Amino acid sequence: MAAQRSFIEVIVKRGIQGIVAAVVLWLASRYLFHFPPVFQVMFVLYAFLGTGVFILLDAPSLPPASGFKAVALLVAFYVVISLVYIAGASALPQYDPMVEKGKIEKIVKPKLAATEKGKIDELMKRTQELNAESQAILKRLETLGGEEAKKIEASVGGGQAAGAAHPAAGGNLVALGKEQYDLQECYNCHKIGGKGSVKKRGPVLDNIGSLMKPEEMKEKLLNPRSWMAEGFEKEYNKKLMPDKYKELMSDQEIEELVAYLSTLKDASVQTPKPIKK
Amino acid sequence: MKTWQQAPAASVAAKSRLSGVLKVVLILTGLLFVGTAVAYAQLPEPKVHEFPFMGNRGAVWIVAQLHILFAAFILGAPIFVVVSEILGWKNRDTRYERLAKEVTKVTVILYSMTALTGGLFIFVLLATYPQLTAWLIGHFFAVFAVMYPLLFIFETIVLYLYWYTWDAWQGPKKLRHIALGVLLNIIGLATLIVIDGPTAFMNTPAKFAEGGMDLKTFIETTATLWDKMNNYSWWPLNIHRTVGNVVFGGFITGLIGAYMYLAAKTDEERAFYDWFGFVGNLIGVGALLALPFAGYLLAYELCDYDASICPYMMADQLSMFFEMQGAMVGLIFLASNYYIWLSMKRIEGLEQIRMRTTTLVLMASIPVVFMLIWTRFPIPDKFALILPAGWIALFLIAGRFLKWTVGAQTLVKVAFLMVIIGNAIWMTPHAFVATQALAPDDGSLSLPHGEFSLGFVTISWGDLALMPAKNAAAFTLVFVTIVNYILYNRALRRGRIVWGKIDFVAQFVLVFLAFSAIWTMTLMGAVRELTRKYFHVFNLQYDFTPESFTPTLAYSSWVFTGVTLTFYIIVSFAIVLTLRTGKEKAHAEAPKGMPAVAGAE
Repeated sequence: MAAQRSFIEVIVKRGIQGIVAAVVLWLASRYLFHFPPVFQVMFVLYAFLGTGVFILLDAPSLPPASGFKAVALLVAFYVVISLVYIAGASALPQYDPMVEKGKIEKIVKPKLAATEKGKIDELMKRTQELNAESQAILKRLETLGGEEAKKIEASVGGGQAAGAAHPAAGGNLVALGKEQYDLQECYNCHKIGGKGSVKKRGPVLDNIGSLMKPEEMKEKLLNPRSWMAEGFEKEYNKKLMPDKYKELMSDQEIEELVAYLSTLKDASVQTPKPIKK
Repeated sequence: MKTWQQAPAASVAAKSRLSGVLKVVLILTGLLFVGTAVAYAQLPEPKVHEFPFMGNRGAVWIVAQLHILFAAFILGAPIFVVVSEILGWKNRDTRYERLAKEVTKVTVILYSMTALTGGLFIFVLLATYPQLTAWLIGHFFAVFAVMYPLLFIFETIVLYLYWYTWDAWQGPKKLRHIALGVLLNIIGLATLIVIDGPTAFMNTPAKFAEGGMDLKTFIETTATLWDKMNNYSWWPLNIHRTVGNVVFGGFITGLIGAYMYLAAKTDEERAFYDWFGFVGNLIGVGALLALPFAGYLLAYELCDYDASICPYMMADQLSMFFEMQGAMVGLIFLASNYYIWLSMKRIEGLEQIRMRTTTLVLMASIPVVFMLIWTRFPIPDKFALILPAGWIALFLIAGRFLKWTVGAQTLVKVAFLMVIIGNAIWMTPHAFVATQALAPDDGSLSLPHGEFSLGFVTISWGDLALMPAKNAAAFTLVFVTIVNYILYNRALRRGRIVWGKIDFVAQFVLVFLAFSAIWTMTLMGAVRELTRKYFHVFNLQYDFTPESFTPTLAYSSWVFTGVTLTFYIIVSFAIVLTLRTGKEKAHAEAPKGMPAVAGAE
């Protein structure tokens, strides 16, 4: 009885200490560190975790259990841990796959189209569409005939011709280049307009259009060892810039990216000077 | 003669042979699966099958993860089984011998599950991703069709020999049995290394050494099998998996101890399984101390191979997976230290144990001091090693002269506080882009820059979120655990331990540790696989399927939990079937022989 009372006192004492720690951590994480709410909650939970641990340290021994009771305790324990882990993982900010799906589709689709399977799939799809169209035309011809049929035939022919036209013929090169910058996730190492990498991996690119000619940019993209940004000797020696774009990007995509980078001429942002290697 | 050393009765032996035959049949079925899969892969244009409900990626994910969990145990457990057998033989301590034998018994049954899930894995892979599988088999034909099956068959033979000669090769033949165990480990390690080749290749396919030839041309035309095997992440993965397997095996041994303790009916049994669980935890925690560094090496090599992997892992799509990893590692360290505390509590005379105050101050100073050092001198700068070593040496020397001491209880409480603080630093985020929005300039996702000076170096609060702070936090967790074990050993030398009298809650801590270790393993396994982004083979083979995207952590956590629970159910059955029922049979059919109290003082 005395041990029980003493343990209750421990719980109360540690509980008060835990609440004080939680409040201090919440205030600090909110007003001093400016963490997003989910991490404010996380630090408060850490205070409670600590409280729980310190209560456990002073807890009296648990009476042993066996047989059915032990099995039931085990099963309940598994259920609780499973739910806590799932809840913990779900409470953290979730990355939205839809954002990535759209990007990946843009990257992967042209590659698929270039493969044998992609070409066959495309042909099969087109054949099926044509087959469906011709079946529809035949049906209508059977019911109509004469001048009307000719009109339909002409309209179908016209439709096919329009469908064969290349949709990207009048595309905006700079806009497409900006899209390439986003698709290749260049922002993970570079910064433009104050947005992008928060770590020093690659140089700021705001004024790169004034410092490099398009063909030099192309050279750098195809062979990252050809140029180095001033002040980035360590990163250059560690070969941080991946040597893969010549394989993963088409000539057209490289041209688009270069076209976009060439438009970046903001002299007010200090941009490291490129050095030819 | 002790109960566990008694020869089984004839009917038990017959049943044992029957179960042995069944296991061999299961393993052969697994190998048959692999053989059929290799042959099927040679067919032109195999059909893609769609898995209902979970999708093709989900199906491969679950089966592969289950296979890896079984494989991790059967490769990790024999390492300490042999060490335990040697300890038992050298020190004439029957507890070690019995531990080794019981873990091997469970390993044998789980071995057949490894083969079965391995075969199933290849089969599912072939049904769902036939072109990729055929491509991989084409590039690693010698591995999949010759080396791996041969090693597996060889390992099966040696494992069964090891198990069935256990009782026969005692006394003067014991060394022969130990040698067989060592051979088993060598083959197991070779199997791991061989199969890690294609696995690592999918993450970091070998590049042509001096440029000039693009990756695809190199791999498709001139690269030899050795070029493909010997890629960037092969050895880091081998090291990481070997250490991880020992951790895993240790914690599963702890789980076996906990189950058997809960089922024990006599004090003798409780005493033995209390000790059994303690040793399992000791192995698990001992290897766990090296695991963060092995993981760091693997991550370092992945980033070195392609710098774009790093932000993807730690600052973008997978950043929250790493947050979860931080939480899990913290919980595992907390639980393992709590287990040490529970072990210590039952040592008579603990209250008299004291340690130098300098140890306490050193422990409390590590997160801040090491963070300052590593911020100023980033690893691998030579001062990054010299200064921390000097700092520790300074306190060790000071401890010789300053005689102030603190009680064990105070030290343990400060140690727990440091684990929590260390883990909170580990979890402190820095400009995560979890929703793939670009890191904003207003600091809403990053730390502000309130700076303070400590004389020789100025740091900002933001430094708490950078790698030097994370490394200091990881070191704190490791250091605290070492100090706790030193304290435990000191208490053990001066006090008296009564095995079997541990707090009942300790068994749940062992269960928790095994569960959390498996869950973390599934979490980090997914991270390694996902770093291939929208490629099956990074930068080489695109994933054109609709499932080519990074799943959310919430969705993934259901998969991790499902896989962990499935594995747990099978392992629990294996433990109950092999140890509990075996023991009951032995008791029922061979009642002679007085069991001695195992290991009690």
